[in-house]
Amino acid sequence: MKTYFLPQHELPSFVSTLLQTTRVIGPVAKKHKFVFARLASADELRLDYDVTILPPKKAIFPQTQPLLKFSPEGYEDVGTPQPQILFGVHFYDVKALDMLDEFFTDGHADRRYLDNREATTIVASSIQHINERAFFASVGADVKPRGHDAFLTAIEGGYVYEILTDKGEALIKHGSFRAATGDEVSSAYAANAEALDKCPQHIYHSTREIGRRVRAAFGRDEVWDELAEKCFSCGTCNTTCPTCYCFDVQDKWNLDQASGVRERTWDGCLLDDFARVSLGEGATDNFREKAAQRFRHRVMRKTSYLNEKLGGPACVGCGRCAIGCVPDIADPVRIINRIMEG
Amino acid sequence: MSKPKVKVAFFDFASCEGCQIELTNLGDTVFLGLLEHIEIVEFREVMKETTSQRIDIAFIEGSFTREADRPRLESIRARANVVVAYGSCAATGGINALKNHQTDYREFVYGKDAEMPHLDSFQAQPISAAIQVDLAIPGCPIDQAEFARIVSDVLHGKAPTVPNYPVCVECKLRETVCRYQSGDHCLGLVARAGCGAPCPADGVPCEACRGMVDSPNQPALLQVLMEKGGLSQLRAETKSRLWTARFRNEE
Repeated sequence: MKTYFLPQHELPSFVSTLLQTTRVIGPVAKKHKFVFARLASADELRLDYDVTILPPKKAIFPQTQPLLKFSPEGYEDVGTPQPQILFGVHFYDVKALDMLDEFFTDGHADRRYLDNREATTIVASSIQHINERAFFASVGADVKPRGHDAFLTAIEGGYVYEILTDKGEALIKHGSFRAATGDEVSSAYAANAEALDKCPQHIYHSTREIGRRVRAAFGRDEVWDELAEKCFSCGTCNTTCPTCYCFDVQDKWNLDQASGVRERTWDGCLLDDFARVSLGEGATDNFREKAAQRFRHRVMRKTSYLNEKLGGPACVGCGRCAIGCVPDIADPVRIINRIMEG
Repeated sequence: MSKPKVKVAFFDFASCEGCQIELTNLGDTVFLGLLEHIEIVEFREVMKETTSQRIDIAFIEGSFTREADRPRLESIRARANVVVAYGSCAATGGINALKNHQTDYREFVYGKDAEMPHLDSFQAQPISAAIQVDLAIPGCPIDQAEFARIVSDVLHGKAPTVPNYPVCVECKLRETVCRYQSGDHCLGLVARAGCGAPCPADGVPCEACRGMVDSPNQPALLQVLMEKGGLSQLRAETKSRLWTARFRNEE
């Protein structure tokens, strides 16, 4: 594995060169928050972001994605994805993308997702500012990020660029990189270790213990009613989650009423009608009608149901659900602590 | 393969007729495109013809505020295969329902004419209070894209739906910075989505012009309006009446 160094002042020209040939998506400021967006210029890039409103999965699994176009003649593909670089992804979001890779491959290989994933080069980056709700250091700590192609770590005077794949290596010809010294590699290691040390929120129980105890609490309605009392069923804990992958499929007709497009849009298990199903002849039923049932379902999914498949919880500790929840009831740290206290 | 066009008519009751005007804002392409598939047989905003014949889809704007309007609503219902409550006034009572919380509006608005018989009205109600409604499209005004989609669904025999989730979903999908994270308040938590959340994206709190979702958590709303939105208890309680007066718990 090769490791390079890029001086601080060379980063803009490196990113500018990438932009000339490829679509580059990176963190940019939006008011006092951050979002992943297609870069128009290198100076928009904000590698000092803490966390983005939506996770970078949207670059691979978009909020709304056409699946096919249809007409009386049949249907056609929506086209192959163009290469793109996802630049500046924090390690917790890489872990989440690893999980999506698993979800979209297991059982049924989802070509729309996998094609976009294949066309994407991921340059991860070190965490320079940590959100106060983050708990990435203590959730699924045994699960390491795997899916990135390179890892960029900010150190004094520049960036250490660690190459993990050929796709990651292919980028260095676009910048003034040189081989990193041993000291620089040590500094990068220390910077990433420090981000873990400084992570503010903690879960103190093991994944296995949490999974067991949360499952055991399934029938304790009083706990779920209490936790979900202020829930608006707004789905913000789903829509901002980097590991949520549910979607709804709808057909939309064009004006000619003969052709149209089939699209999928992110869905969320906290939403009132998520579990509403057809009983035929216009009748429906909702098998998770109460907000507390939906709230419980999310906690089960994140802490228990998927653990065997993933080797850890389906949560990476980014804190987005805690940040986004207006009544502040969605924070996994507080939910897990509440359940663990009995 | 020319199929007979679907006969569509528009009617209005207590409203500003802005939702019908909004239709004319669809633009030539969409409006004329839809006319390939529908035949408008009554639409006071754009034509003088009326109909007493059978109608495939009746779009009814405005709320039900006078007993005198009941026979006309019933007549439309009897002639129409599908009745759509069109816009927030018809769907929820809308802005008209503000009067339901007032007593002096007649004198205040009409002065010496306050006792004119045509002003003899009761509480503003959705038209579903008078007749069976097949679908309600809320919005003040209605959303053009939603209208076009619903017409398509009806043309294709698909049961049309409007979202039953809050505006928060649409804010998140477009990554709008939450009003509550900018020291503001917002009703998006309980407001019915479908508009695409343009107001918070422009830095304006959602006023729930499409009414509320089916199961709004109103106690929690009051709490966050006070604790996170910084509103007084009185303001938190009256906030949102503009379009949701009929939804509020208080009398």
